[in-house]
Amino acid sequence: MSPPKRKRGSNGPAGKKAKQAKFVDNEDVEAVPTTAQEEITVPAPVSMGKWKNKERVLIFSSRGVNFRTRHLMNDLRTMMPHSKADTKMDRKDKLFVINEVCEIKNCNKCLYFEAKKKQDLYMWMSNSPHGPSVKFLVQNIHTLAELKMTGNCLKGSRPLLSFDPTFDKEPHFALLKELFIQTFATPHYHPKSQPFVDHVFTFSIADNRIWFRNYQIIEEDGALVEVGPRFVLNIIKIFQGSFGGPTLYENPHFQSPNMHRRELRQATTAKLREKQMLKELQKMKRTENKEVATKDVTADVFATPGVEKPVHIQEEEPGQDPKKRKPKPFKRRRMQMSR
Amino acid sequence: MEDDTQLGTESEEEDSDLSDGELQEAFAKGLLKPGMNVLTSKSRTCVNNVDGMKQCLAELSKTLPWVERLDLTNLPAEDIIARAEGKHPAPGGSVNAEDDFQREMFFYRQAQATVLEALPRLKKLNISTKRPEDYFAEMAKSDQQMQKIRKKLISKQAILEKSEKAKKLREQRKFGKKVQVEVIQKRQKEKKAMMNAVKKYQKGMTDKLDFLDGDQKAPAAANQKNPKADMAKRGPNAKRKSKDDRFGFGGKKSGKKWNTKESHNDVSGFRSKVAHGKGGKKGNKGKQNKRPGKSVRKKMKSRS
Repeated sequence: MSPPKRKRGSNGPAGKKAKQAKFVDNEDVEAVPTTAQEEITVPAPVSMGKWKNKERVLIFSSRGVNFRTRHLMNDLRTMMPHSKADTKMDRKDKLFVINEVCEIKNCNKCLYFEAKKKQDLYMWMSNSPHGPSVKFLVQNIHTLAELKMTGNCLKGSRPLLSFDPTFDKEPHFALLKELFIQTFATPHYHPKSQPFVDHVFTFSIADNRIWFRNYQIIEEDGALVEVGPRFVLNIIKIFQGSFGGPTLYENPHFQSPNMHRRELRQATTAKLREKQMLKELQKMKRTENKEVATKDVTADVFATPGVEKPVHIQEEEPGQDPKKRKPKPFKRRRMQMSR
Repeated sequence: MEDDTQLGTESEEEDSDLSDGELQEAFAKGLLKPGMNVLTSKSRTCVNNVDGMKQCLAELSKTLPWVERLDLTNLPAEDIIARAEGKHPAPGGSVNAEDDFQREMFFYRQAQATVLEALPRLKKLNISTKRPEDYFAEMAKSDQQMQKIRKKLISKQAILEKSEKAKKLREQRKFGKKVQVEVIQKRQKEKKAMMNAVKKYQKGMTDKLDFLDGDQKAPAAANQKNPKADMAKRGPNAKRKSKDDRFGFGGKKSGKKWNTKESHNDVSGFRSKVAHGKGGKKGNKGKQNKRPGKSVRKKMKSRS
């Protein structure tokens, strides 16, 4: 016996409409299949509702990114079905060219990874034509390919976005939160998205940095497993325009990686220099001919003026000591006497 | 006052545009204060345009229903582990970013709180969080990758199990040695008791042959009831007794071997024939060595 036929997204006669979501007027129609006959129907990958939020995110990078960044970028692309890719930017190009690229690609948000010195990674997040835009330093990247993150989720399923309450406390964080929401939230009924919510993007603030995590929802009671990727964003600046314009915010805690490395280097050199100097000093001390102490400074410390005593000479022979003990028998004798 | 000006001039030595006179003037006006010239990390004047940001946010924000955004802002869920351990987490949701475990736990709990809050809302909106069993779609991680992860997990578990087993074995070996030694000792003891009993029987001290039966334990136990009392009744053995006679037992030890007047005067043991080595020769002659010398013996051996 063959198993019952499965149909995806079949809604009876409205089956064809599934693909042409634009024509569905009733936006409240959910992916609730009518159980027609004995056919087992599952929710359609493309839902019946109308895709209204036409958010698109351009994710691309500059030339000279390392493999880890490339992997991270690909992971973000798999996680965000509303993303688009583009060829790598030349490093020489001015940043505002990106705005034009976004326009060409029909995107209104942009994540641009900029690699510098083959070791530092910066990420630009921008609302394309009008701004604002943010520049981050990206640290501690872990990609999906790592084996320690054991979760898995559907490709293109919509994420929940979880924010730290700190995001509401300060204006720049509030702005960032809105930007994050618009960038990372997959639009409802996006054609490439899945009709399930099975993972959470977590944005938390610790140590003045934004920590990104992605968890899979396993059980309904809140059991989670990390899927990845994970990275840490350190805010550098917030600009009013997209890739330019006046600065709205500058992170006072930010220290450029170059500066950080320089400080480390300086600390080591200072340590070394100090050691060298000490060594030299010791050498000099050793070679310096020692002054012979001709005069003892402490020689006359005990030369106290005392009373001179007359010299007494004993002329008589020393006589018997009157206090001499009385003769006593030897031990052997004593023992025998006691026996 | 002197000191203060001194301090000021000292730290300002680098940029020597200011002359001492100017500094003194400044000090007189009260512009210079002690502690003003402490070296600090140069403070950048960071831009923080709050109004601009607020305006920007107002422009940026869209009026979209929650379904489109799926965002939630919440404190982390209650830390069950910390509560069980009796620790009180820092209020205000701050974490030590250096402590990896604590930090990750914080993020996890935040995600958990979000999930717990979002699930009812999603249910209300008729969005499911679980796909049906027969819903197949491409996953974020490929099957190959998941297989790799599984393999790694399994190998990790195997390693853990192996180490645990080895630990157990090591402990067992240690304990086993002790047991073995005990068993051997016990066997030896039993054998000794048996031999003793046999000897006793041979000497005719007992007529009973019950030690040959299986229960050697009972007589041994009976013997061990009061061995000390037995010994006391019997008194010391003959060898001990003779030794005691010869060397003495108990009492004062020192001065025993010394001569006394009586012993000195006692000449009963004196024999003039033997005295002063005279008797030696005679004695030697008397009991001459019957055994011939080595060479002679050899000769004799070769002859025969």
